[in-house]
Amino acid sequence: MGEVVLACEGLKKRYGGLWVLKGIDFEIEKGQTKVIIGPSGSGKSTFLRLMGLLEPPTEGKIYFEGKDVYGSGLDLNMIRAKIGFVFQEPSLFRHLTALGNVKLGPKVVLKMKDDEAERKALEALKTVRLEEWSHHYPAQLSGGQQQRVGIARALAMDPDIILFDEPTASLDIELTWEVIDVMKDLARRGVTMLVVTHELGFAKEVADEILFMDDGRIIESGPPEELLKNPKTPRAREFLRRLIGGV
Amino acid sequence: MEGFLTTVEMTFLGLAGGFALGILSALGDVYGTKLMKVVIAGYVEFFRGSPLIVQLLFFYFSIPALTGLNWDAFTAGAVTLMLNSGAYQKGYFKGAIEAVFKDQLMAAKSLGMTFRQTLRYVVLPQALRIVIPPWTNEYISLGLSTSALIVLGIRELTNISKSIAAQTFRPLEVYLFASAIYFIWITVSMKIFDWIYEKVKIPGLEVNI
Repeated sequence: MGEVVLACEGLKKRYGGLWVLKGIDFEIEKGQTKVIIGPSGSGKSTFLRLMGLLEPPTEGKIYFEGKDVYGSGLDLNMIRAKIGFVFQEPSLFRHLTALGNVKLGPKVVLKMKDDEAERKALEALKTVRLEEWSHHYPAQLSGGQQQRVGIARALAMDPDIILFDEPTASLDIELTWEVIDVMKDLARRGVTMLVVTHELGFAKEVADEILFMDDGRIIESGPPEELLKNPKTPRAREFLRRLIGGV
Repeated sequence: MEGFLTTVEMTFLGLAGGFALGILSALGDVYGTKLMKVVIAGYVEFFRGSPLIVQLLFFYFSIPALTGLNWDAFTAGAVTLMLNSGAYQKGYFKGAIEAVFKDQLMAAKSLGMTFRQTLRYVVLPQALRIVIPPWTNEYISLGLSTSALIVLGIRELTNISKSIAAQTFRPLEVYLFASAIYFIWITVSMKIFDWIYEKVKIPGLEVNI
């Protein structure tokens, strides 16, 4: 058993009168890749934002490397720096080049020297195969390239885990592949990843476990071959039938 | 000529003071508490909802009466222009700050950046670029509005022209000449702002107004 990087217990989230998350227990170990699938509105994105400490939970606890992040007076920004996040929309800083986007975190948050941050950023851009594009602005890059810059931006922080919130949902099919390929690479290199996606090929190839979410809960989980072939719950069966059937 | 310098000086004072006030009240309005928002709204409504001439007279005459503080026309005029311009500039800055989309603020947060770092490295560099074109309009508008300072007897371009016209009985030539000075000044300034805008422009960050 590896070391648990990120975990939560009884996690709940309410917006106004609506409970979006209704009690989630979860953990992920170092080096693992876990994929979350489920219908829209099931709370996948909310769950991910909570785990990325971008929003506080209404109830429940989140643990980062064993420490209760909201319970022990820790500096949340320092923990956020250790948790990478890749958004559905690339969300790049539009006034900075690809290099500038990737460099900003190491420089400002990790307080690296300029040349050190630049080296780090170039290395991350190389990992996502964009080293020749480092001096282009976001508007000059394709959606897939922008998304890969977003991945590099997370990587350059040397995070202990990266969370991906449907990173290919707003991309064309060919652009999807270039992003998915990079993500497969990362998974094989042992980067710890928690990914919301409907790219089942990705899940099949690299996921250690798939979690199926519905109505604010994880209602089924298991290794990909098991969950994708023989889902136990009717909801998961129905969802997968539609997803694969392309309806 | 001396009158022209006073006009330019007043414009720059008003713009500079208004810049600081505008940016602070825009930040307060976007990120501040409810109370701050109400105070800022009151300030902006007051200065945008009444004529500049009335504001000038009000501040020049009522502040000494209310506080016993004596100030000269020049100071009163400059302060009023700053407050007035700040109220307008606040609107431009607010628009520019809000144009930096929420997703970027979220991204900055995910990197572990503090609010201050996000403002400095993400919001302001973009907002200050976006604000240049509307800000140029404010410069023109305030520059021309300085002629209202005549009501406080400040010796700026319009006031001096009026004296000369009265002495020489040649209003046509004098006011035509004054208009030409305003025109050349504004045109040259606009060119400079356009040049700056082009200079700092970033692909994909153009303003679509």
